[in-house]
Amino acid sequence: MSFELRIDQLSKTYPNGTHALKGISLVIPPGMFGLLGRNGAGKSTLMRTIATLQEPDSGTITFGDPSAGSGQVIDVIRDKERLRETLGYLPQSFGFHPRVSAERLLSHFAVMKGVVDAGARHDVVEAQLRRTNLWDVRHKRVGTFSGGMRQRLGVAIALLGNPRLIIVDEPTAGLDPEERVRFLNLLGEIGQSSAVILSTHIVEDVEELCSSLAVIDRGEILLTATPAQAIAQVRGSIWRRSISREELPALEREHAVISTKLKAGQTIAHVYAQHWPGAGFEPVEPDLKDVYFAVMGGHAGVRAAA
Amino acid sequence: MRLAETFRYELGYRLRSGSTWLYGGLLFLLAFYVVHVDNGGSHTVTGNAPFRVAEITALFCGLFGTLVTAALFADAALRDRASRMDPLLFTTRLRPAEYLGGRFLAALLVNAVLLLATPLGLFIGSLMPYLQREGLGPNHLSTYVQPVLLFSLPNLVLVGALLFTIAVLSRHAIAAYLGAIAIFAGYLVAAGLWGGISSPMLSVLADPLGINALKAMTKYWTAVERNVRTIGFPAMLLVNRVLWLAIAGGVLGLLLRTFRFTERFGLGRVDDESNEVPRGLGVSRSSSEGGDAPKVAGVFGRRTRILQTLAVMREALTDIASGWPFRVAFVAAIALVPLLGWDVGAHYIDTVTWPVTHLVASVVIADGAVFIPWVIIALFAGELVWKDRDSGVAEIADAVPVRTATVLLGRFLALVGIIVIFQCALMLGGMLLQALRGYYHFEPLLYVKILFGFKLADFVLLGALAMTIHVLVNQKYVGHLFMIMVIVLTQGALYHHLLIYNSSPAWTYSEMNGFGPFVAPFIAFRLYWAAWALLLGVVAFLSWPRGPELGIRKRLVAARARFTAPVMRLAGAAGVLVVVFGGFIFYNTNILNEYLSWDRIGAPQAEYERRYGRYRDLPQPVMTAADLRIELYPEQTAVDMSGTYRLVNRTGATIRTVHVETPRERGGYAVRSMSFDRASRPRLTDAAYGYRIFELAQPLAPGEALQFRFDVSFRPRGFAERWQQTKVVRNGSYFDRMLLPFIGYQPFEITDAKERERYGLPPKKAMAAPGDADARRYQNVVRDLERIPVETIVGTSLDQTAIVPGVLRRSWTENGRRYFHYGTREPETFATAVFSARYAVTEGKWNHVALQVFHHPPHRANVDRMIGAMTSALDYYTTVFGPYPYRELCVVEVPPYSINGRAFPSALALAEQNFITRNEKGQVDLTFFGTAHETAHQWWGGQVRPAYAKGRSFVSESLANYSAMMVTENVLGPAAARRVYDYQMERYLTNRAQLGRDVPLLQVDDAPYVSYGKGAVALYTLREQIGADAVNLALRRFLEKYCRGGPPYPTSLDLYAELRAVTPPPLYPLLTDLFETITLWDFKTKSATYRRLPDGRYEVTLDVRAQKLRADEVGRETPTPMDDVVEVGVFAAGSDAPIYLARHRMKSGKQTLKILVSQQPSRAGVDPEGKLIERVREDNMVKVTE
Repeated sequence: MSFELRIDQLSKTYPNGTHALKGISLVIPPGMFGLLGRNGAGKSTLMRTIATLQEPDSGTITFGDPSAGSGQVIDVIRDKERLRETLGYLPQSFGFHPRVSAERLLSHFAVMKGVVDAGARHDVVEAQLRRTNLWDVRHKRVGTFSGGMRQRLGVAIALLGNPRLIIVDEPTAGLDPEERVRFLNLLGEIGQSSAVILSTHIVEDVEELCSSLAVIDRGEILLTATPAQAIAQVRGSIWRRSISREELPALEREHAVISTKLKAGQTIAHVYAQHWPGAGFEPVEPDLKDVYFAVMGGHAGVRAAA
Repeated sequence: MRLAETFRYELGYRLRSGSTWLYGGLLFLLAFYVVHVDNGGSHTVTGNAPFRVAEITALFCGLFGTLVTAALFADAALRDRASRMDPLLFTTRLRPAEYLGGRFLAALLVNAVLLLATPLGLFIGSLMPYLQREGLGPNHLSTYVQPVLLFSLPNLVLVGALLFTIAVLSRHAIAAYLGAIAIFAGYLVAAGLWGGISSPMLSVLADPLGINALKAMTKYWTAVERNVRTIGFPAMLLVNRVLWLAIAGGVLGLLLRTFRFTERFGLGRVDDESNEVPRGLGVSRSSSEGGDAPKVAGVFGRRTRILQTLAVMREALTDIASGWPFRVAFVAAIALVPLLGWDVGAHYIDTVTWPVTHLVASVVIADGAVFIPWVIIALFAGELVWKDRDSGVAEIADAVPVRTATVLLGRFLALVGIIVIFQCALMLGGMLLQALRGYYHFEPLLYVKILFGFKLADFVLLGALAMTIHVLVNQKYVGHLFMIMVIVLTQGALYHHLLIYNSSPAWTYSEMNGFGPFVAPFIAFRLYWAAWALLLGVVAFLSWPRGPELGIRKRLVAARARFTAPVMRLAGAAGVLVVVFGGFIFYNTNILNEYLSWDRIGAPQAEYERRYGRYRDLPQPVMTAADLRIELYPEQTAVDMSGTYRLVNRTGATIRTVHVETPRERGGYAVRSMSFDRASRPRLTDAAYGYRIFELAQPLAPGEALQFRFDVSFRPRGFAERWQQTKVVRNGSYFDRMLLPFIGYQPFEITDAKERERYGLPPKKAMAAPGDADARRYQNVVRDLERIPVETIVGTSLDQTAIVPGVLRRSWTENGRRYFHYGTREPETFATAVFSARYAVTEGKWNHVALQVFHHPPHRANVDRMIGAMTSALDYYTTVFGPYPYRELCVVEVPPYSINGRAFPSALALAEQNFITRNEKGQVDLTFFGTAHETAHQWWGGQVRPAYAKGRSFVSESLANYSAMMVTENVLGPAAARRVYDYQMERYLTNRAQLGRDVPLLQVDDAPYVSYGKGAVALYTLREQIGADAVNLALRRFLEKYCRGGPPYPTSLDLYAELRAVTPPPLYPLLTDLFETITLWDFKTKSATYRRLPDGRYEVTLDVRAQKLRADEVGRETPTPMDDVVEVGVFAAGSDAPIYLARHRMKSGKQTLKILVSQQPSRAGVDPEGKLIERVREDNMVKVTE
């Protein structure tokens, strides 16, 4: 099983002038891939383009196993329908026709995804409902569902038909902690047998699940690595200091503060520096958050000065 | 499989929706209601006749059906996007064709089922036992099924395809609604332009909904045919249906090619990130962009509320105005006005008027294009109410500390703003229309008065209703439909205006008198309805949905909580205003004036007859002279009338009592005094019904004379519920002797047999037949009319001129008023009239006759043409008929309130519209023709007064129209006369079919399409056969015999006798056909072939079918043997002049004609110039083949 999603020089500019994607190139192997970035970075545009809902201005996307011959590789941009046969997409914002039951909807989507045989469909629908804990409410109208329930139904739909490419855009944003954990567990299970792209701005999600990640900002990839590689890049350059609120502006002037946090009334600042910045600073074993802020701050990754 | 699944899913969704069934119910109820409305009207065409069912199904319910279609297909097209399920769907294996196909077909199926509600409603309506049975015929299945197959279903496919495509491609539901309105408006425009298409095949094919084709097919069907004949499946119509179904298919094909799942994202969606500004990092950094936001507490007081209201208004208005549906609608409104109003004022023959501002503003915009504001109001009220919920910010917006009242008021003000903007658009459209037609006197102030004064008040009140409905009804599309239905159903409702929301008495604008007496009632009623609108506002406020819970119970609870003291006070105040204004209106309409509900309009007349009809033949003295003094006060709209009648007992009996009839003393008419020159005692005084009986102390012996003095006044007060009095106005007063007393019972009775029965009156003999013995006794319904001398003194205000037909003896000023003394040159029938206005006068002369035109000063443009017409007419008539007996002839302009034109001895009254007709090159203009027609009445109807019997209109109107046509031919040329002729023929044939009645010329009394229309045609046809000189000789003789004579008066039979006298006996059957009966011819040239003869000429062989039909009054036809002379014509290619035109004798049935011509023939046929009355002319001429 060695398929991959290969993105090459993908660009997209919207008619109002926004450069959403600037020559993105990525290779996404099977397993969980995290795409980290803030709002407006281009994540959703990229997700939609891969999910065949948007056309890029230039570039290519291919999905498949290149070693198995070119016939097994799907040119996503030109051959959208072929990709959709094996695609599961959970967009950032979505909804349902309000007056339909969960079961009916799922059955409808099952047909849309190719589960044509009535008996098989019945089984699949039941399985998905149970898996996402919606079996008890399967007859209720979707309009009465809470946000978390809707999200689970979305997942159920995305997973219909055992897709090999699953794109999940900001999935845990509106979920409570319990639901988030459940969701991430579910994703983790699937990650074994498909390529799952998790696009999010919640660093913890990527940290917990993903076997590789990329950081994107303003249409550009700033960093591509595994979590371990990413952390290694900034190991030894992250320092911590505890200060008061009034001292912060001075600190920011003198050092490269990459993040601040409030803890029990004190402000804890993380600073990037190649060498020990001085008194009051402690070294910190970096986590992915530090990597992220460092990259965003231009201290690591593509934007770092050489 | 996916297509089938999509279809099934969509079908299930639609069927489970309550709104679907609601639409069906509304369509059903509408059809049901229409049957009831129909049943109350005339019954010549039964309510469930095949024709009528087809008409209602195709047209009336088809239009509402279009709105339902818009709702259903827009929902099918856009629900996925609206609910944001589309990204989930479009990333499955679903293909665009399957997606669109499933949604479209399901909506189509559901809508098709719903459409059956219309014929079902008509059918069930017709079964109701309480309806009048004679208004309904037998029910056949085909009656109901055929229109559905022919019209409803194919139209649904076409309209559905169009609206679905619009909705999908535009992604806005409102675009589909506007599309539905565009179809409707396009239909109105096309119907107006329909006559312009000459090729009948093209005109049938070019009709997408088939309605105009149906009309064309059935244009000349009589009542009998309409009741019985089914529409069938005529070939042309089937071709039309197939063609438009193919076009529908093409539209769908276009949609399939254009629609893609991609590119529907990324812009304009809530989650779109391209519009988002990259923000700072999630974790705060203090001194990054910005810094601390200043802490400002919100201020909540009255000023805040006002500012908030204005802010809400501004926000809502900008939001809607920046959306492209609004902009498209704005531009469309501007464009529609010229399209709809291109021929404004065109009515008589093919004349048009100048597009004067008041016509454009009132007829085109306020009346014709009124559906534009209705739709705008209904749609945008919905948008405003649903704005937050549609865009998803409802939960945020509802929690903001802005009071509900502020939001409601702000949104309402935004709606008012939208209405104002659209009125501006309509005004621009009106000016565009005027400019395009070459008229630049825009009068913007008048536009403002009409569009922003009258109509704006109207629409704002409508807007209040629309918003309230949308607040109450939970579904936006249902609210739209509801609103449109309410609007349509309140048009033309027959109840008191106090009871129908937003209704008020109709108004007419006059260039002489402005808005005149219509302003006061308009304002009063608007204030009243504004009070109701305030109550509606309270209801809307109480029910305004705030928060996500929309169920009825929750809303009632919320409403109760909002019903605080201030709200109660407001509602109370509104209620008080309703009572105050309503009471004021009631006082005016029902107490100061008389209110008669629509079914009691004839009650006073009936009562009058019931009480005094027995005095019908009581001997009474007749008037031999009259002296009148009329004091007119235009500024107060009042007139005092006094005078003396000289009466003589011309009967052989002694007269003991004198009966005096006056108008009823209601609505401002009062009798101040009445007396005789000898002792008398009032025996009966019935002011309510205007009847008095005086007993003479000394009876009047035969031959004795008596003087009767009276003093009456007409001082109307207040305003009436429906029709305002327009006799005495500030500028342009006109009234006739109906305001003065009559001597003896006058049979002003109800003539319609059904009405008489309804009021319990004994059946009355309809007007005397011309052959009856006593037919010649009277020449008017009024009994006392010998020709008498009349002297009239009229006083009016200083700046006005008063005119009474006759000779002006002198005029002077006295007491700050102007006085005129008019007298009759010779004794005339006492039919006086009084005109008073600020006139300008233009003078002319014809021989010894002084010509004058008294007109509204700005109406100068056509006056010279009028004088020219009078001159030409006098020229012609005096040459051909007989002398003109007076030394003056004047035209007086009157406002358009009552008459279009009327003739008096030596005077013609013409309404304003005659003064603004526009003469385009080669067209017949109304000014010329109307003046010539009214001038002809100086002979026909003036010097010769026909007896008051059936056929009298033949003597007066047919002759007048014929005379006017002769003058037209003389002065403007044969082509112009031909156009008039064609128009009269068309008028006759169309009206007789529409009204379901016809009557032979010799019997015609009040069917103008017969007397004016057929009469002119018949006389012209006769002229063609026997020559103009012969006809004119007959008329001259008729004039000489009966000129200025007293009883016995001439009837149509006398005129007919003269015509017969000049007609050679072989043509007597033609006379019978034209005048004594209702006769229609029918020719059909089956084929025409030619062969070349050795001598170079061509022999044309025509295979012709001919038949002649006699019809009865309702249109039942029986064939009659034909043996008539008919013209046959042969034409060469490229020329309209015949190479052969001669009369042939034809019999009924099949015949073959052989004709020799010297050129190569291209077309040939029977009666090419349409000289015989025939309904279907298209099959008379055919191409000639080898």
